[in-house]
Amino acid sequence: MSNTFIALAVPALLLSSAIFILLFGLSSYYTKNRGYFITLATLFVSFIFASLGIGTKFSMEILPQIFNSMVVYDTFAATFISLFLLGGFLTLAIAKSFVDKTDFFTHESFVLLLFSLFGMVVLTMANELLTAFIALEIASMSVYILVGLNRNSLKASEAFFKYLLLGSFSASFYLLGMMLIYAQAKSTNLDAIAEYILHTELHSQLLILAGSMLIMITIMFKIAAVPFGAWVLDVYEGASLPITAYMAGVFKIAIFAFTLRVFLQDYITFDSVYDPLIIGGAVVTMAVGSLLAVIQTSVKKMLAASSVVHSGYILIAFASIGEATASAASAIIFYLFAYFISAIGAFGVLSYISKGSDKLIQYEDLNGLAKTRPIIAASLTIFMLSFAGFPSTIGFIGKFYILTSAIEAGYTALAFFGAITAFISIYYYFKVIAHLYFKEAEHVEVHYGYKVSLAFIVISALVVLWGGVGTSLLFDIPGINELNAISKYAVESLGL
Amino acid sequence: MSVLAILLLAPLVSALLIFLINILFPYAKQYLYTFFALMGSGVSGLLALYVGYYSYFEKEVFISHLFTWLSIGNFSIEVALKADALGSFMLLFVAPVSFLIHIYATGYMDKDKSYGRFFAYFNLFIFFMFLLVLADNPIIMFIGWEGVGLTSYALIGFYFKDIQNTYAGNKAFIVNRIGDFGFLSALMLLFLEIPSGGFSFSNIFLNLAQMEPSSLTLIAFLLFVGAMGKSAQIPLFVWLPDAMAGPTPVSALIHAATMVTAGVYMVARFAPLYNMTPEISLIISYVGALSALLAALIATRQYDIKKILAYSTMSQLGFMFMALGAGAYSTALFHMFTHAFFKALLFMAAGAIIVAYHHKQDIRELRGIQLPKIFKMMAIASLTIVAIPPFSAFFSKDAIMGALFVNGHVGIFMMAFVTSMLTAYYMSRMMFVLFFSKSKQEAMESPKSMLFPMMLLAILSVFAGFLNFPEVFGGNMHISHWLGLPDRAVLIPHAKELALMGINTFFVLLVIYNAYRKYAYTETIVTQHNDGLVANKFYIDALYQRFIVAPIAIISHFFEKWVSQFLIDNAINWSAFGYFKLGEIVAKAENGNVRLYALYMLFGVVFGFVYLYWSLRGAL
Repeated sequence: MSNTFIALAVPALLLSSAIFILLFGLSSYYTKNRGYFITLATLFVSFIFASLGIGTKFSMEILPQIFNSMVVYDTFAATFISLFLLGGFLTLAIAKSFVDKTDFFTHESFVLLLFSLFGMVVLTMANELLTAFIALEIASMSVYILVGLNRNSLKASEAFFKYLLLGSFSASFYLLGMMLIYAQAKSTNLDAIAEYILHTELHSQLLILAGSMLIMITIMFKIAAVPFGAWVLDVYEGASLPITAYMAGVFKIAIFAFTLRVFLQDYITFDSVYDPLIIGGAVVTMAVGSLLAVIQTSVKKMLAASSVVHSGYILIAFASIGEATASAASAIIFYLFAYFISAIGAFGVLSYISKGSDKLIQYEDLNGLAKTRPIIAASLTIFMLSFAGFPSTIGFIGKFYILTSAIEAGYTALAFFGAITAFISIYYYFKVIAHLYFKEAEHVEVHYGYKVSLAFIVISALVVLWGGVGTSLLFDIPGINELNAISKYAVESLGL
Repeated sequence: MSVLAILLLAPLVSALLIFLINILFPYAKQYLYTFFALMGSGVSGLLALYVGYYSYFEKEVFISHLFTWLSIGNFSIEVALKADALGSFMLLFVAPVSFLIHIYATGYMDKDKSYGRFFAYFNLFIFFMFLLVLADNPIIMFIGWEGVGLTSYALIGFYFKDIQNTYAGNKAFIVNRIGDFGFLSALMLLFLEIPSGGFSFSNIFLNLAQMEPSSLTLIAFLLFVGAMGKSAQIPLFVWLPDAMAGPTPVSALIHAATMVTAGVYMVARFAPLYNMTPEISLIISYVGALSALLAALIATRQYDIKKILAYSTMSQLGFMFMALGAGAYSTALFHMFTHAFFKALLFMAAGAIIVAYHHKQDIRELRGIQLPKIFKMMAIASLTIVAIPPFSAFFSKDAIMGALFVNGHVGIFMMAFVTSMLTAYYMSRMMFVLFFSKSKQEAMESPKSMLFPMMLLAILSVFAGFLNFPEVFGGNMHISHWLGLPDRAVLIPHAKELALMGINTFFVLLVIYNAYRKYAYTETIVTQHNDGLVANKFYIDALYQRFIVAPIAIISHFFEKWVSQFLIDNAINWSAFGYFKLGEIVAKAENGNVRLYALYMLFGVVFGFVYLYWSLRGAL
């Protein structure tokens, strides 16, 4: 299969499947189960397609005579697309019990999910600011609605409105920034802008500098960096658990994919100007995020706050990208994978034990789970250890790469600060483990059913462990080294 | 997978399988465990013979690179296995003896309710032992080293319901930690000293010449501290007699034939290093000599059959260290080789007696036992250990005596000589008390699964010596040539060697005769007084307790109370409290008011632009 075919097939598949479900949902043959499995199959097939591009270095413009180099398909795009398609697949697979037990998860929800993934795919391939904006908005709009899916819940509606309002507010910065850049560079194509930046003095491209900064603000909003990410606690709290997992794990990957592309192609020349801002942002994000996480009483809000901290870690790598390009960029990809697999697992566990209700899970609700449901408790423990960056989990390797790239770039103090926040994070992550194992409960035996959800939770937990210790000693399963190599290839393909 | 990988992993796999069966199917049949236990150790045993054959006849060096553990810059640590002559030689007796003791243990542990757990540990132990022997670099060796320590701990405290056994396990583990500290410090120093390349043994030895002589001395000493712990030498020997709390097969395998020899093996492995540090070698010799003498002295006044053997193990290890210190590495290893057979046999015989007489271990209560087969084998083993020609230890011990004699340290030689007389004394004391008595005690003979491995070991005890037949009798020291270690010892003239052998044998026979007069068919063992310096093991345990353990406990209490609880705990609790309060303040800003959120964003934008203006103001 040629790369052009794959590049067209993946978004086309997502889109056509979405439209099919939209129409099919009105017919009397539709059942929720059928919609669910069609979506799952679509995600799986498109994941397989996209993953064909991993590990070989290539870069091509898609149908240049039609799209005029607005979209490109390279190893970078293929890697990211496979990442979040896998993420979408896992989220949905684990959410089986949630899908079945809620009445607000209608066929439109599947459609929205597919639309948002379509938007992300295009966003990852976008090589032009306006295309990227449209793709970003397609994805964001779908996610806005997914947040407010439960119309009967006041919290969800509130979250939906807040997110929509602030999201539109932040999008306006992007448009303004794009306009400024176009005013000076006379193009919105990333390659053309890069060309322009290279051949112009730093001091005579102030509009581009200002415009880039505005675009960065939108990105900061989307990844919930402080001070643009104040929405995150309310929105994550209001949204249903699988949707929260989806936003925290999957949506973020797509945003970072675009950000990384923009950074590596254009911003890298402004490195000296932007670095202090990004470093400041990283420090504030990590500090505020961990302060908020420490005081939460509900596990879901704690995970929401801690996702802010994880964005902060990734910002560390972004700050290092100018000085240690290769290691920082591949560290970001590795970290995103590490975070998303743990996040989907952790939110999945919460969703599994809340049995589709929108009840906020408090720490106390986990008491004694280790006795009644040892497998779930062990999986949740593994996810928490991975979040905290405990050795022998994938989270440790992810943090290790991020911090080493920062040290390589000369930001030792920043790396040190990151390590301190990681140390603090042990408090709120281990609190979960403490409640699981060391608190007695008046817990009654509950049957959760849904072996599929459980199976995928366990698989995610095993991946987390394997990613932390994996070798090819006995069996040739890709482990740390292979993942790292994949990230490196992806980054190198940008230079082609 | 290569031969070595299979050899190494077979016992690990069977250990894991046994663990799984033990956990998942608590009522699994015993033969299932037996099958896996013998599979694991049997495969390794056979492969060890194969490796030994090709190493000896074809001079083949087996290498198996498993994976790269970590690689930082141009420094890498490989998980690689290597069986050179020394490694193959170790395998050659470790693996088959392990297998034989496994067979023996199936008889000894028969119907024990923790049968599965025992063999899981047992197989795990030989896995770690192979890792120790086959390691291509000291770090992997250290993993094996720690692993055997861990399994040894688990097996000493095997019957953990009796708290004394657990204490014995703790003692072994803690005393070994001191040795491990030495080993680990030596590794760190080596890490600092080594200029580049890998951490493999060959690379270390290549770079020895460029290292600082003073730090080499320190490294050599610290490594020996590690060896002291594992091989029960003064001052870290106190754990070995207590370790006899474990089941007898454990004592035979771990605390006689294999694990305790790890220290000797390690020093021999680092022979090029010790050749450059003669002062440390001298210390090794003296420590070995003193340990041998002390242990032999204590053994003459012990009554517990297993403790006598434990002290004799320590004493024999002392002999090996004397030889190592004198630079006669292959001689030391040869003695280790023969020792593995006869000491395992002695312990197995002791175990058979213990089983037959319902777990009595005191030789005063076991007087006049009637086990003819066991007697024959124990007699062979005893004659071997006291070095009567032509039993195997005669050749190995004689070679050590010769090396010490040539080396010229009279003190060490005299201590070795006295020790070998004492060895003859305490062994014959034990034999005569057990089997030559007016009283008679009948018992059932042991099952075949216990007798068969003992017979094989008895044959080996007799004939293993001919493998390294000395030149004085027309042999040509096959093993020494095969090992090819950088021996320093000068060869002893044949006339002197013969004379030494003669004198030695004569005095040994004299001592045995004396012991016969004193203990056979008499009541001496019961009437003899049982106090004084020697009977109380020189009060060493009490001394350690008083002068080392107690002061450390006082210091620990101080740190626990003031540094840990007061200083550290309070600091952490207060900073956590402060952080929590800070979090509550931040949460006030995060209050759900969307207008405020937009305002924060605006602040961010303004700040960004102010910064941009400030950093680019020169251009404006």
